[in-house]
Amino acid sequence: MKLQHHLGGIENLGPVSLETRVFVEPWEQRIFGIHTAMMAESAHLADALPAYAVKDLPTAFKSNWSWASLRTGAEDMQPFEYFKYRYYEKWLGGISQFFIDAGYLTAQELEEKSAFYRAHPDAALPDRPSAPIAAQIGAYLQQGDSGYHPPERAPRFAAGDMVRVADPAAVDHTRLPGYLRCKTGTVDAIYPGHFSYFVSTGVDGIGRPMPVYRIAFKAADVWGSDKSEPNTTIYADLYEAYVQAAH
Amino acid sequence: MSDIFGFPQDREATSAAKVRALEALLIEKGVIGSDSVDTVLRHFETVAGPFNGARIVARAWVDPAYQQRLIANTPSAIAELDLPAGMAGAEGEHMAAVANDAHVHNLIICTLCSCYPWPVLGLPPYWYKDPVFRARGVREPRAVLREFGVDVPETKEVKVWDSSAQIRWFVIPERPANTDGMSEAELASLVTPESMMGVALVAPPQA
Repeated sequence: MKLQHHLGGIENLGPVSLETRVFVEPWEQRIFGIHTAMMAESAHLADALPAYAVKDLPTAFKSNWSWASLRTGAEDMQPFEYFKYRYYEKWLGGISQFFIDAGYLTAQELEEKSAFYRAHPDAALPDRPSAPIAAQIGAYLQQGDSGYHPPERAPRFAAGDMVRVADPAAVDHTRLPGYLRCKTGTVDAIYPGHFSYFVSTGVDGIGRPMPVYRIAFKAADVWGSDKSEPNTTIYADLYEAYVQAAH
Repeated sequence: MSDIFGFPQDREATSAAKVRALEALLIEKGVIGSDSVDTVLRHFETVAGPFNGARIVARAWVDPAYQQRLIANTPSAIAELDLPAGMAGAEGEHMAAVANDAHVHNLIICTLCSCYPWPVLGLPPYWYKDPVFRARGVREPRAVLREFGVDVPETKEVKVWDSSAQIRWFVIPERPANTDGMSEAELASLVTPESMMGVALVAPPQA
């Protein structure tokens, strides 16, 4: 189990950030843009809803890259490092390592090029625009990538049912917030259709299409009545694999 | 501003050089084009952004029947408005709106990462991505809201929405007082991203 899976509820962290900017340093925009371009080129989009002709895209990028890739990297970090690095610093580290691990570039190439731009911060980037890639980025941003599937069976639970959140084995990446493990709540709504996740999380349980429930938890049932604020309800959308009968 | 942003200058220069090196190598190796990153960034200046959400909220304020449709079927109600194409695009494939009123205050959060409704709100601000907000928002939302300057009385229910699957939530904040004579566009200009995520109220117009 990783701290990153249990972020919700950690106490004694001090005041919240009131920073309303999206990017606090200009370089952060570039790593955000690189990530989003990778999302738009991801091989899995050939089978996504809607399907994209990414196989024909004139790019050397042939990998899957989804939110799950970025999240897995962040959840895989040493927990103290997770708090040490700022949000886009984690992205820069994770994405750079992905390109090295997947063989698109070498650590030495990146190191040498970084040293060059460190010495010449205003040196230009190579000038090789790609209209087809720009068009695919536009299409992806405008049409997105849904995990929706028509329902194949009835959901196991109904609105109003008391349910208990499962406690699956810890894995590299999960969509189950740790603070909800083993807690009891009430099914508030069931979303129409089934939803897949971008990758299989193995014993954690998600990946293949399944119902998703909106489950309401009284704050006192999650944190204890003496440790929670009054008149507070927490809603979480949970894949069916994370939901069990309360009794 | 929190001092966690006060890093030594060298830390930022090192990251800036590394990301520039990465982008240069990806262009050289044909992974992306030299216009790819700018294409992404332009989308968030012109197509996807909080200017869309503000227009949706203003319409909900002037038309209660629209607000009901917006809550019941968010994508379909958004499609009624003359917004840029792509409101069901990346990170907007499945959106849902919840409304603040005299009895309920809503707070949107993503404790595991930074899920955010891009088409209507653009990209998430730093406070939303900060681990401290994500850790404390679900446990002591009223205390967190007070730090943002919002005091929610105990008689009002706080609903916290943790974005842990496909839905991307946004809040229809309460319409401020003294806005009866304002046009929809004037109303939209009052709406901030923070108010649409529940950490701010919409301030009445300055006299």
